[in-house]
Amino acid sequence: MPNASYEHKWGMVVDLDKCTGCQGCVIACQAENNIPINTKDYFLQRRAYEWIRIERYWEGEYPNVKARFMPVLCQHCENAPCEPVCPVYATYHNEEGLNVQVYNRCVGTRYCINNCPYQVRMFNYWHPNWPARLENQLNPDVTVRSRGITEKCTFCVQRIRRGELKVESQGGQRLNDDTIAAGNYDPACVQACPTNALMFGDLSEDRQPSPSAIKPYFDDVNAHPGHGEHDRETRGYRLLEEMNTRPSVIYLKKVDPYPLKGGH
Amino acid sequence: MALAGLLATAIVAFIVVVLFMSWFSNPPFGWGNAPAQPIPFPHTVHAGPVEEGGHAIQCEFCHRNVTTGAAATVPAVEVCVICHKQVNGANAKADVAEPETLINIQRVLDKHADGRPIDWERVHRMPDHVRFVHEAHLRFLTQGEERTVTLPIGDEEPMQLPVPVQEACSVCHGDVASMTEVQPQDGQSLKMGTCLDCHRENDVSTDCTVCHK
Repeated sequence: MPNASYEHKWGMVVDLDKCTGCQGCVIACQAENNIPINTKDYFLQRRAYEWIRIERYWEGEYPNVKARFMPVLCQHCENAPCEPVCPVYATYHNEEGLNVQVYNRCVGTRYCINNCPYQVRMFNYWHPNWPARLENQLNPDVTVRSRGITEKCTFCVQRIRRGELKVESQGGQRLNDDTIAAGNYDPACVQACPTNALMFGDLSEDRQPSPSAIKPYFDDVNAHPGHGEHDRETRGYRLLEEMNTRPSVIYLKKVDPYPLKGGH
Repeated sequence: MALAGLLATAIVAFIVVVLFMSWFSNPPFGWGNAPAQPIPFPHTVHAGPVEEGGHAIQCEFCHRNVTTGAAATVPAVEVCVICHKQVNGANAKADVAEPETLINIQRVLDKHADGRPIDWERVHRMPDHVRFVHEAHLRFLTQGEERTVTLPIGDEEPMQLPVPVQEACSVCHGDVASMTEVQPQDGQSLKMGTCLDCHRENDVSTDCTVCHK
């Protein structure tokens, strides 16, 4: 496993039992990462983009119907299908387990977008623009991407960097769950989630002082590789597990105490 | 036909000249031209050594954020007025002689009275996709154990660390205290190659996300 050598190994747990589909993460991400505003036009052309999106599924037939939500963001795969296809090495895996997109290297071939099974890589079809009033709220820690390049979720690497610098300047050790929580260095979506459905942490083996709170979920999923979501005793699973992309994001499936009669 | 050839040559020559200039010039202005400031600010007088008629004000007294944050920051007009409410020609102890200097000081005081900032022109401009944190670099140069390093910037002489903040600034910015107009110096182009050389030399991470955002 490559993660043994990582200094950090960032990961996320998405608890679908807690997700209410409120889109808070989507808005937080848009504000944090300078994502242009999606207009009706963009949607009609199917070129609207979000770094994290809420997928909505309907279960049952009207009137006996239930809505199911699933936040989908870049899975930061360990075997990322997007990485080997980039002709200019603009996307690569760094030592912290992040799938990095280097915007100023990207030439916009879109191979990575087509090779991503999760459809979380987005192409910038237009020069980004905001209403004049909103230009003052752009985040200075995140670049404004130009037209013609691919972009995607970074696990808010700018916040991780800010946290690392803060910890270093105070003579502290590595960033851990406590320092992350104390300084709000979580990704914006995690910070904004009102039900704590999203959890972020460091999965590296020798993490001090104690393993991250999200590590047990990953240990459980890793202990039963390749069995898919229905075979495990607990709720954890990875998206499209059969593709062996080994995502750094795992999902905990919803447990509905009142399932629809006749189910799906 | 000859005209078309001439035109094509002119266009190609123009492109070559533009590429040449943008490659060899320092990132913000090139060819050693400092931008014109709205009010002349001689660093020689403010930060220069006392023997040469300066006042030896420490860099971080005005550029206050430099030891704590990403940007060094240009001071607010209030910081100018800390001294210049005394040093304005009206005070017999403060020896400001030249009438032109007095006019400039009065302009600073007027700005302060109006509650308006001075629109200083930026000299060192990083591209939007680069993150440079002054605090981390000053921490490297001014703190830690005693050690000797060779930094691949400036005169490339071996350097004893830690150094005082004033010397640390001059590693990348040159001897600002001796500049009437601040500008990037030869060998201090602040291109990405310089960053990488220094990071490799000192065993700092060269992961893209360390600097690129």
